[in-house]
Amino acid sequence: MAFLFDPLSVLFVFLILLGAVPNLFYSRGYLSHIERRWHYRIHYFAFILSMLGVVVAANGVTFLLFWELMSLTSWQLILTEPEEEGTIPAARFYFFMTHFGFVFLLLFFLIATDGDLEIGFAQMHGIVAHFAYPSLLFFFLLLGFLSKAGAVPLHVWLPYAHPAAPSPVSALMSGVMLKIAIYGMFRFFLDVLYPWPLEWGILVLVVGALSSLVGVLYALSEHDIKALLANHSIENIGIILIGFGMGMIFDTLGLGILSSFAFIAALFHTFNHMSFKSLLFMGAGSVLHETHTKNIEAYGGLIKAMPITAWTFLLAAVSISALPPTNGFLSEWMIFQSLLSSNTITDMSLKLAIPFAIFALALTGGLAIACFVKAYGITFLGLQRSANARHAHEVNPAMRLGMLAMAGVVLSLMLFAPSYIRLFDTALVSLGRVGAYDAIFPEGIWHMHSVAINGGVVSPLILLASLLAVTGLLLYAYRTLGVKERLHRTWACGYRTGPRTQYSATGFAGPIRRFFSWLYRPQEHLHKEAIPGHESKFTDSSYEVHVRPLFERSLYDSVARAANWISYWVYRLAHFEQTRYAAMIFNLTLMVLFSYRIFAHEFSWATFALESVVMLISIKVLIIGEKE
Amino acid sequence: MIGYVATIVLLLLLAPILLSFIKAVKMWLLYKRPVSLLQGYRDFGKLLRKETVVSEEASAMTRIAPFWVLSPLLVALFYLPPIAKGAYYVSFVDAFTLTGLLALSTFFLMLLGLDSASSFGGMGSSREAFISALVEPAMILTIFSVSMMAGDLGIGQAGVNLAEHFPREHTASFLFAAISFFILLIAENGRIPVDNPETHLELTMVHEAMILDITGVYLALIETAASVKFVIFASLFASLFLPFGMEEAWLPAAAIFVGKLFAVALAVALIEVNTAKLRLFKVPNLLGIAIVFAFLSLITYYVLGA
Repeated sequence: MAFLFDPLSVLFVFLILLGAVPNLFYSRGYLSHIERRWHYRIHYFAFILSMLGVVVAANGVTFLLFWELMSLTSWQLILTEPEEEGTIPAARFYFFMTHFGFVFLLLFFLIATDGDLEIGFAQMHGIVAHFAYPSLLFFFLLLGFLSKAGAVPLHVWLPYAHPAAPSPVSALMSGVMLKIAIYGMFRFFLDVLYPWPLEWGILVLVVGALSSLVGVLYALSEHDIKALLANHSIENIGIILIGFGMGMIFDTLGLGILSSFAFIAALFHTFNHMSFKSLLFMGAGSVLHETHTKNIEAYGGLIKAMPITAWTFLLAAVSISALPPTNGFLSEWMIFQSLLSSNTITDMSLKLAIPFAIFALALTGGLAIACFVKAYGITFLGLQRSANARHAHEVNPAMRLGMLAMAGVVLSLMLFAPSYIRLFDTALVSLGRVGAYDAIFPEGIWHMHSVAINGGVVSPLILLASLLAVTGLLLYAYRTLGVKERLHRTWACGYRTGPRTQYSATGFAGPIRRFFSWLYRPQEHLHKEAIPGHESKFTDSSYEVHVRPLFERSLYDSVARAANWISYWVYRLAHFEQTRYAAMIFNLTLMVLFSYRIFAHEFSWATFALESVVMLISIKVLIIGEKE
Repeated sequence: MIGYVATIVLLLLLAPILLSFIKAVKMWLLYKRPVSLLQGYRDFGKLLRKETVVSEEASAMTRIAPFWVLSPLLVALFYLPPIAKGAYYVSFVDAFTLTGLLALSTFFLMLLGLDSASSFGGMGSSREAFISALVEPAMILTIFSVSMMAGDLGIGQAGVNLAEHFPREHTASFLFAAISFFILLIAENGRIPVDNPETHLELTMVHEAMILDITGVYLALIETAASVKFVIFASLFASLFLPFGMEEAWLPAAAIFVGKLFAVALAVALIEVNTAKLRLFKVPNLLGIAIVFAFLSLITYYVLGA
């Protein structure tokens, strides 16, 4: 085992600690909710330690060991409450997906280290430079890391695995573990697999743009609050990848400082997403802890009973919606700026293509606002929609402390953005990039500049101060006005307002669902008990809508069907009579001989075609035979 | 600096007048007796004197959100381009921050709609969320295109640059961007054909549905926010897409600028009289046009500029 503590590793150690320390308090409070406590404790700490191990690993074997340990402990943590419905399939799916990625990482390491997994990353660069097919390594890394980070099309496990885990673990998995994959990308793309052709950067950009849109669209159609947040993780990983892809593109084009700016944006968003997503999962966990349901339609009015949860959740929701002056806005601003700097590119087709990524990112931003208005409004505002919500109380002090501490992390990222950016800059400089800090903050910490020519400026602190000052003045004016206030029930056209007359989450997302129905293809179930003789009057009605992700339906189900089909034939094969076995051996021999001719001896299309026909006939006649 | 402060005060004072002006023009064209231009002030004064009725079902959000709806817009007023040459303007805010501030205000307005547990509020919020999600990409693409033509993303600097040397060679993409921005102006301010500010029919209302349960000072805050939002958009349109008349001294320049604002308001009023409100699910078509024009503007800029 070997460890290294260069600025990039230390940066991610810092990220893990920022994510894990508030989580410890929260976890302490949440423990009363968990039955298998020792199982939970052991795996929880092993999980945090293994994440730390991954980011400080200095060679392939250490990296893979801790990576696998991280996967296994998180898998066990998902299984903390195995009696709950859906937990075991979710854990199985997660187990499969994480090992799917692991295989590719292993292949990458075996090739990039030339079989000696104990050599350091620096030496790997030399081996990779002489490898004939760097694109193969690129795809191995991409599949390996993106299946962990949850980018399209390898994102399908997130909305199952994250809700199944206990909430502190969801916060850690979504907030921190996904970022370990981002660490891997920074480490191995910038350090080992350098330089890149232009296509790689474009591919990462496209994957990022697709992930962000797909993530937010499925988040909107989700009713399970934790699955909703998990879908937002897909979106935010997409945003990080957009920054990363732009960095790669600019680097290939020789625009060093723009590339550093884009990478800093990606790192900044990585930190920001860690902070607000952890906080959101903690808030969701507190709500779940009190109401015992994940269904957002059963919530409502929780701000009255759970003020601390509600206000910290609001902070995180504003931040994830990329609204100023929060940290989420700052990093998304940086990513937008790096997309806008594409007007300095000379390659015309690329220049015309990047506005589509801007479009995707802007639409994502708009839909994210809609989604968090839904998540926040339906959960915390209005009237309680179920008895569970009516009986909710504020959570215990340890959990409150955890949420407040995480809110502190969010605020620190907002207030001390320049210091964080300096950290990111140092990490990138240590990887041989151009430093961009002085170009971002040329005149002190007040104004943040885009490094492009004619780029934008933002002044986070001034913005925050002016917003606070104006709100304060308005509030002061309101106080001095001394307005009389009266409470009265909400007017509802003469009827009483009740929990059932409010807009539901399904209804809230209705227009968007209808607009994107070509993507969602929702399955709707409408049931009405009409009064006899009155078509439009009914005593009882129910409406349900389910959206099954397209990727899952098309990509994963078809793979599952293909596997089924193959296994059916293998089964048939295993029950053949002996003559057919003999025929198979004959055919295999034939194939070996033919392929030897083709690969080792000489190749011509004519003999290849002839031999293929011979093979097909003998397979048809001897093995498959007549249809019964 | 005096000019800067005077501009902000002027815009604030003009805000209610412009909305009353639109209403008056519409009434006049429909052979009604037009409202006074000062109607906005009268309503404001009346609302300040009224007692506030707060919904029993509502939470602390109803008491704080109206302030958060108004304050980002008031802050945005400070960051607009100057109306005369040489006047002070804020150079450290770019167009993204401005759209972010507008979105922040809308975010709290939507939460306010969901707070009173009325089905109208939810309906309004849901529709507003739908519309503003589709406005966002058009807005950002338009900004991108304008910033390239102006040679700066900073909103104040862009206004000055456009006035000083108008990009004649990019008139086509300039016009496309202007069309796109005008559609956004209508959509963001909830005017016909996207939303009808004068109706309280549940089939049609968007903005009004969200604030149905708000009264008194809170309503005054929200109404002020609506008029300030209109004046922000109108003055952005005036500074970025009608960039002339800034060379004069401050007073004539201000007069020309106010004239431009009224011209924008007149255009909005004429559109309102001559079109019907679109069905909610037809609104994406209109916003799609804005998105397409924004793309066209970018593409013509790149293709002709190369």
